[in-house]
Parts: sequence; structure tokens; C-alpha cells
Amino acid sequence: MSCRLLIIFVLLCSIPPVAAGQDREKPKDQQIDELRREVGELRQELVRLRSQLPQGDSTQADELDQLEARLERRAEALENKIDAVSRSVAPIAFNPKMVTAVNFAARSDNKEVIEPSPNQSVISNRPFLRTVEVELSSAVDPYASAFAVISLENQANKDFGIDAEEAYGLIKRLPIIESAPLGLKLKIGKYRASIGVNNKIHIHDLPWTTRPLIVSRYLGTDHGEFFESGFNPVGMDLDFYLPNPFPGTTFEMNADIVRAGDIAISNASLATATLSPVTVRQPAYIGHLNLSKDWSNVHLLNIGASIYDEEGDYATRAYGVDLTYKWAPAEERESHSVVAGGEALILDHINSQLDRIHPYGWFGYLQYQTSYWLYLGARYDWIEEASDAAVVTRNIGVYASYYTTEFLRFRFGFEHRQSDIASQDNLNTIIFDLNLVFGSHPTEPYWVNR
Amino acid sequence: MKKLLNIIALVLAALMAQPASAQNKKLKVVTTLSYLQYVTQEVGGDKVDAVALANPKQDPHYVTPTPRMNQLATDADLFIENGLSLDMWAKNVLEASGNPSIQPGSPGHLVATINVPVKELPTEVSRAWGDIHPQGNPHVWLDPFNVRIIAGNIADRLKHIDPRNGDYYQKRFDDYKTTFDAAMFGEELVKALGKSGGDILTRKAKNNELSDWLKGKKLDGKLGGWMKKAERLNGMKIMSYHKTYIYFADRFGLQIAGELEEKPGIPPPPKHRDAVVEQIKREGIKVILNDNFYSREAADYVASRTGAKVVITYVDVGAVEAVDTYEKLITYLIEEIDQASS
Repeated sequence: MSCRLLIIFVLLCSIPPVAAGQDREKPKDQQIDELRREVGELRQELVRLRSQLPQGDSTQADELDQLEARLERRAEALENKIDAVSRSVAPIAFNPKMVTAVNFAARSDNKEVIEPSPNQSVISNRPFLRTVEVELSSAVDPYASAFAVISLENQANKDFGIDAEEAYGLIKRLPIIESAPLGLKLKIGKYRASIGVNNKIHIHDLPWTTRPLIVSRYLGTDHGEFFESGFNPVGMDLDFYLPNPFPGTTFEMNADIVRAGDIAISNASLATATLSPVTVRQPAYIGHLNLSKDWSNVHLLNIGASIYDEEGDYATRAYGVDLTYKWAPAEERESHSVVAGGEALILDHINSQLDRIHPYGWFGYLQYQTSYWLYLGARYDWIEEASDAAVVTRNIGVYASYYTTEFLRFRFGFEHRQSDIASQDNLNTIIFDLNLVFGSHPTEPYWVNR
Repeated sequence: MKKLLNIIALVLAALMAQPASAQNKKLKVVTTLSYLQYVTQEVGGDKVDAVALANPKQDPHYVTPTPRMNQLATDADLFIENGLSLDMWAKNVLEASGNPSIQPGSPGHLVATINVPVKELPTEVSRAWGDIHPQGNPHVWLDPFNVRIIAGNIADRLKHIDPRNGDYYQKRFDDYKTTFDAAMFGEELVKALGKSGGDILTRKAKNNELSDWLKGKKLDGKLGGWMKKAERLNGMKIMSYHKTYIYFADRFGLQIAGELEEKPGIPPPPKHRDAVVEQIKREGIKVILNDNFYSREAADYVASRTGAKVVITYVDVGAVEAVDTYEKLITYLIEEIDQASS
């Protein structure tokens, strides 16, 4: 018996660390299987030895118990090592996390639609690959992480252009400031600015088939409002939580210093159209204050206020408010949800006659989820032209979104437009939209509740 | 430039408004799920304030991070997540919190399931298979032995970040383990085996030797707790909506015959639903477990054609009053299945 115990003891001691030793050339899973098998055999051997023990031999039984405890400790250590190995990271893990989002859209119109600038392309009754976005993100070092969205954007049916839609570093601490209070984060680079909520969302995450008009017309678009729009300046963003006067609510502040002249309503763009150049002083400033409250993650309410300020020969300012309400029940959450909200922007700038004007615009929307797969919604836009407050466009759209999963979304929309701009008046458009998201994107919910 | 200075002044003022941290303040612990909060509070006692982010009634896979959650994490000393790609939304909270001391790799960040033996590790990963978890099935906490390991992980981390109270956390952990072992095997049996009784019983149960070992020691009559309660479930086949109960079933001897979902995270297509109906009829399955956060439509459909009983189950602590502790949660699951099958 003692000889057998000795053999078991030697075998126990011979269980090697998982990653080391003579089996290095074998695949890890094979090494693990062998070691587990070995542990299993030792357990069986112990059971067999125990069955051979003479009745009442408590010394040997205790010895076996001790050996068994030792075996289990080693087995546990082995499992821990296996676990560590299974979670260990290969050098490839240092590559950025990569996600690709493809947006395809086709439209059918009752009249010819020409994007006004710069290509003057006819875009009615055509399919488009609107964008292909490649998102890269990774930790840079213990102090910062980085995020970049390289976008292939359809230039109103003429060609594709490559754009760094976003590319920024996010700094949470520095060696000299180990811990920034108030959750302070510093973002430096190019990013979608916090003017309202919608401007921060990428086209493939929109609940609709088109951007709201206040985003495309007031904040900016390179190739017309059917394509990617919004304001993504180069600058620096400070994001922090303010001390909170209302219990249960969260006050978050974004304060930005950005390059002036890039926003669509800037006087810099006006300078190109006037005989007298209008100078714009650098930099411009953005502020966004968000008050948020959620009730057990079932009801969520966000109320925000934004400001854009650009100085120079003439100041350009925009003031905005935004509101978002979501309801998604905790139980049977996948079946029903509601999202409602809206944004408004009022401008304070000059027109081409150098008169100070205050055009404004707003949109409101409502979306109801009828089942796991299907969302129905509507959005209404009302906007005065940035250059002429007397010219008004109204747009109503309804849509149905069909999700197979959060990674594949089909969307059908119908929009009717009435406008003081003759070419846009009584325009009816049917839009089909497809979004594919693939890569290492986690199964996290999109802002529309999935 | 004046505006720039104003902004900097505003930020500095906000920074200075932060109260200085008190010497003996409680550790602020933020957990993703409520069972983690419960275990942390049990181990941390009055030295710890633990708060959970997700609503325990909510699907832990799909939680929308909100500003409230982000702010809770902003001044946390320790952030605990389940890991195994279940609460991946935690990443967004960590990122938005701006709190450097709880970022992955810091002592203030703990993946609670480290060292927990994981089941269903996929050999290949593809979205074509649904929302699979690359690191294995993440519903580990429904096996009490795994929560024993998780409690140990939490205790170790609390000791690490708050060494002054290390002895306190160790004692709380030891006490919790004793309570836990009593819930698992019955107080009488654990006491009968002395100081290491819980460890020995746990080891025997993990190796599927408990019954024989107890008989050999003539202690089988003393078995109590969940193991005794679950004896009636041994060998019972059940159907579940999602792969939530793999660990629970393995521990208590149930057999998961299949899932209503054909692929994880995707509602069952009609063809698969009908195949489940046939399987339930063929195998005489009596119980369908449907997590409260999934639609019960498919389960009701199958039940109406087979006579199987749908049990709406809660899987996190605090979802309802009946499961306001982890111990009650396990008792509840055993009793609900037992009642539905009888």
C-alpha cells in the first residue's frame, strides 16, 4: 500500500504547469486533455485504493484523505492555469478592435432630385452604397484610448471619398494627475460634436433612413442631405459630471474648443459667397449640458441644451435643446419599447446681405417596437433656411425597421416634403435602407433599444 | 482667449468642488449584476457600499448604459463584472466613467468569474451561430459552487485594495462560506464534519462522489440543504428558452434536453418551435424554463401543444422579493422546477 501511495505522490508531483515543459510542441488543448485525463486516472486510483482499505484502518484512510486533498488542490491549480491560458491573449489582441458598418440605400421619387452642391448630381430613383465605415478602437497605454472611424462616403453618386469621420484620443489620466475627479475625460482629435444628440450618431445607427434637416442643413453636409451629414470638427472636448442639485439625476457637461469655420452656418462659408471676405476668429466653442434620469433602466429621460459660439467680424451662434425619452420594460423587454424625442436649433448669424437673422428648425419623432423584429416610427421636420428665415421646408416621414439581429437591419421609409423651395415642394420619396454591422462589435444595444 | 480661460476656470472650479476623501470611508463598489452586489455586500459587510447597475429583472446581455450608471462608476473604488462576454455593456460604463482606477488591468477592476470552470467553450466563433459567447457559457452563478469561488475572488480583491481591513474581509468570507455550505448541504452535515466540512463536501460533490462518500461515512441521512431538496430533480429532463441553466442543471442533476432558441439570442423560428414540440412529446418533458426577460410566446405555444408547464424564472438576486438573496434564488429555482414537474 505504501508503495502505491508513493507512486501516487510521485505522479502528483509530476503534474507540470500547463504552459511549460516537454509538451511545448503539442497543441495546448491536447496538453490540457492529457492532464485532465491524468487527474481523472489518479482519482480512480484513489477510489480503488480506498476500496481495498481494511475496515477500521483509520491511519491509511486519513493518509488517503490527505492525498486526495492534495490531488484536488493540484487539480484546482491546474484548472486555474487552464482558465488563465484560455483567457490569455495572443499578440493579435494588441491589434485594434475592428468593426465595419455598411449602409446601402435606394430611393424612388416622384420628381427629379438634384443635390445642390458640389456635384449637382441627380440622385432620384437610384440605389446607393452610402457609406462603408471602418471603426478601430484600442487602448493606447494605461492613460489613453483611441478611436477612429475611417469612412468611405458616397459623394452624391459621383465617386467615393475617404474621410476620417472621427479620429481621437481619449485621455482619462496622466502620470502627473493619476485620478481626474468628476469623471473628467479629455478627447482630442476629430469627432462628432455634442450639439444635440443626433449629430453624435453615425448614419448606420440612425433609427431613420435620413438625417433630420437641422443636422444636415445647419450643422453640415458635404454631399447633400441624403448622404452622411453632421458636424465633426477638429478640437478638444472636456466631458465631466457636474455636482448634482437634483438627487437621482445626472448632470453631464461637454465643453469643447474647436476649429472655427467648419460648421455649415459659419460665416466662413458665407465669405466665399460675398464680395467682402468675412473673417472668423479661432477657435469656436461648444457647450452641451445634459440632465438625465433613469428609473431602474426601464424609463430613461434626457434633456439637453447646446450652444455653439464662433466670433469674428460677425458672430455666429446656435442654441439648441434636445429631449429623448425611452421606455423598455425589464420583463419581456425584447417585445415592446418606445422612443420619443426631438431637437430644436435656433441660429444667430448673418446672411449674405450681412443682416443678422435668427432662423430656426426642429424635428420630433416617435418610435414603437411591436415585436422582437419590428419597429414602426415617424419623424416630422420643420426648418427655416439658414440663409433666409422666410424659406420654410416641412418634411414628414414614416418608417418600418426590421431587425434580424442588431447587426442586420432593413428599413423602409416614406417621406413627403413641402417646401418654399420649388424643386423640393411636394416631393414624395420611398427609401429602402440596409445596414450591416460586422466585426468585433459586441452585442450591445443600439440607442434605439437593442 | 477669454472664453478659453473661462472654460478652464469652470473645469478647475468643478474639480475643486470634489470633497476630499475621508480616511475611513466605505469602499464604493459598483457591480454590473445584482448577484455580484449581494455577494460583495456579504463579504464586505459594513466596510463596503455595493451597488448594482442592471435591473435584476432585465436581460443581463442587453443593458443600455445610462448616464446614471456612468456617474455611479465615476468615483467607484472597485468595479466588478461577471465577464465571459455576458455584461459587455460594462465596457461602455467603464469608458464613460473616466475613472482610471477601475479600468481593466487596474486593481479596481475585477472580472468575478476568474478561475470559475467554464462550460461550453466554443472551438470556433461566428456570428452565424447567434450571440454566442467566445469565452464559454457565462451563466456560471447559477451553480452555487461557482459563487463560492466568486466570493473568494471578491474577498481577495477587497483585501488587496483595502489591506487595512484584510482580516475583516477574510473573516466575513469564511463566515459566508460556512453559511453557504450549510445552505448547500445542510447545517447538520457541515457541522458534523468539522472545520473543513464544507470544503470536503464541496470537493466530493464536484467529483460526483458525494452520495457514495456519505454512505461510506454513514452520513447520508444528514444531507440537507439544496442538495437534499434537489434529489427529486435528479435525472429530470427539462427544456429552457435560452442556455441559462447549464450550470444549475449540472449541479443538481437535471438534464437540459434543449432550448427553444435555435441559436442563442435569436427568437425561435416556427420550424424549430415545432421540432421542440415533437421532442417534448417524444421525451415526456414536463417543464419549460422561460427567463422572465424573454417573451413567453414560444414557450406558451409549445406548452399548449404538449401539456408541458411553463415556469417563468428569475435568474438574478432581487428581481422579486422571493429571490432577494442568492440563497433564496437557488431555493426558488429548485422549488419552482420541483412544483412544476409534480
